[in-house]
Amino acid sequence: MTTARPKPKPLTITITPDAAEHVRVFAAEAGKSGNQLRVSVKGGGCSGLTYVLDLVDEFKEDDKVIEDQGMKLGVDRKSYVFLAGTALEYYGGLNGTGFVFNNPNAKTTCGCGTSFGV
Amino acid sequence: MTAPYAPPIQQQYDALTQAVALIDRSDIGRLSLTGEDALDLLDRLSTNALQDLSVGHGEITVLTSNKGRIVDVLFVLQEEDSLFVLTGPGNQEAVSSWIDFYTIVEEVTARDLTGETAMLSLAGPDATTILQALLPTQTEVPVAHQAVSAMIGDVQATIIRTDFIGAPAYDIVVSETDGPQFRNTLLETGAEPAGVDATEALRVERGIPAFGKELGESYNPLEAGLMPLISFTKGCYIGQEVVARLNTYDKVQKSLVGLQWDGESAIESGARLLLDGKQAGIMTTAATSPHIAGVIGLGYVKKAHATPGTELLLESPDGPTPVRVTALPFDTE
Repeated sequence: MTTARPKPKPLTITITPDAAEHVRVFAAEAGKSGNQLRVSVKGGGCSGLTYVLDLVDEFKEDDKVIEDQGMKLGVDRKSYVFLAGTALEYYGGLNGTGFVFNNPNAKTTCGCGTSFGV
Repeated sequence: MTAPYAPPIQQQYDALTQAVALIDRSDIGRLSLTGEDALDLLDRLSTNALQDLSVGHGEITVLTSNKGRIVDVLFVLQEEDSLFVLTGPGNQEAVSSWIDFYTIVEEVTARDLTGETAMLSLAGPDATTILQALLPTQTEVPVAHQAVSAMIGDVQATIIRTDFIGAPAYDIVVSETDGPQFRNTLLETGAEPAGVDATEALRVERGIPAFGKELGESYNPLEAGLMPLISFTKGCYIGQEVVARLNTYDKVQKSLVGLQWDGESAIESGARLLLDGKQAGIMTTAATSPHIAGVIGLGYVKKAHATPGTELLLESPDGPTPVRVTALPFDTE
């Protein structure tokens, strides 16, 4: 009998077409370039770690840069261990709209979805 | 080498409650946090609102886990270019590691000052007057939760009014090498040295929880009576959802209470409290008070049994001991 092995986590970060489009919309409103998004994690928040998104003109020297959907995602190096495999999605519904982090490393997530625990 | 002079416990207790006592609190952890994100990070890791702290001001806050349990209770003082943090006794490394774990993009560095400093404390109703006489004339004694730095004689000292055992109580931090000389300076003012037995008696009477006894990961801040240290409006911190839910839906399961029983022999803390053969709580501290007959203690009991006057049984090597639940603080009049 063979046991199916779990698929390895993809060691990258992706953004869905819808989320990328919404980043561009927000960037246009803010008068910034819409194709450079910095993703990081800071300490704190209900579950311990909080996601941070920033529209930036330049990434930091150590950032890991990933291209997807015509965008450049700059990921803070220290944050990357908490984010590898994450898909950045956009949710729009009656009960709230915003970016959602589909993060395979998150063991717990707070109610509002902005913080997670590992 | 001779042991330092120690007056009888009654004399120590009287100094604490009627005059001024000198307590060596050097076992309390002391950290320095530097970096522009230090205050913001601590605000996001703990229960109280710290964002508006200005230089010379301090605040007490609770580090909580994502389950809303107590990691430690910290006194956080904003200094000119850093934060000075008091932790539980011997808990500085654990707190430093906790902060380090959550330091990701932030610029924060923790340095352990515990070994290179001493902390001598003055407590009691005369502490303010005694301290004012020691300070340079232009320096005022700090009010509650504030601090000043000053030369006392030729010793550089930071004086923080933490009220750690009720008001007024001052923690005075000096370099480790200045410690013995500074202790003598404080003794020359007439302050009586007070040890563990007297300070524990007063702490229990006043219902003040201590790290490692009433404060730790077995309990949440609401159970420990730390409501004044929780901001329900500042936003997220680790464990905030759990703490808010416990409070909103009145889900706090147990309460910190006073306990009182007959006898002289102290029963070890951690002993179970029973009602009808089932566990109703746990005794966390036992002490002998000069003013209250028998033994007094602190403990956690299920909310249903927290009403003063409730009779429980305390497990002890000599068999079950009847215990009475008491309101906090104890009535010492």
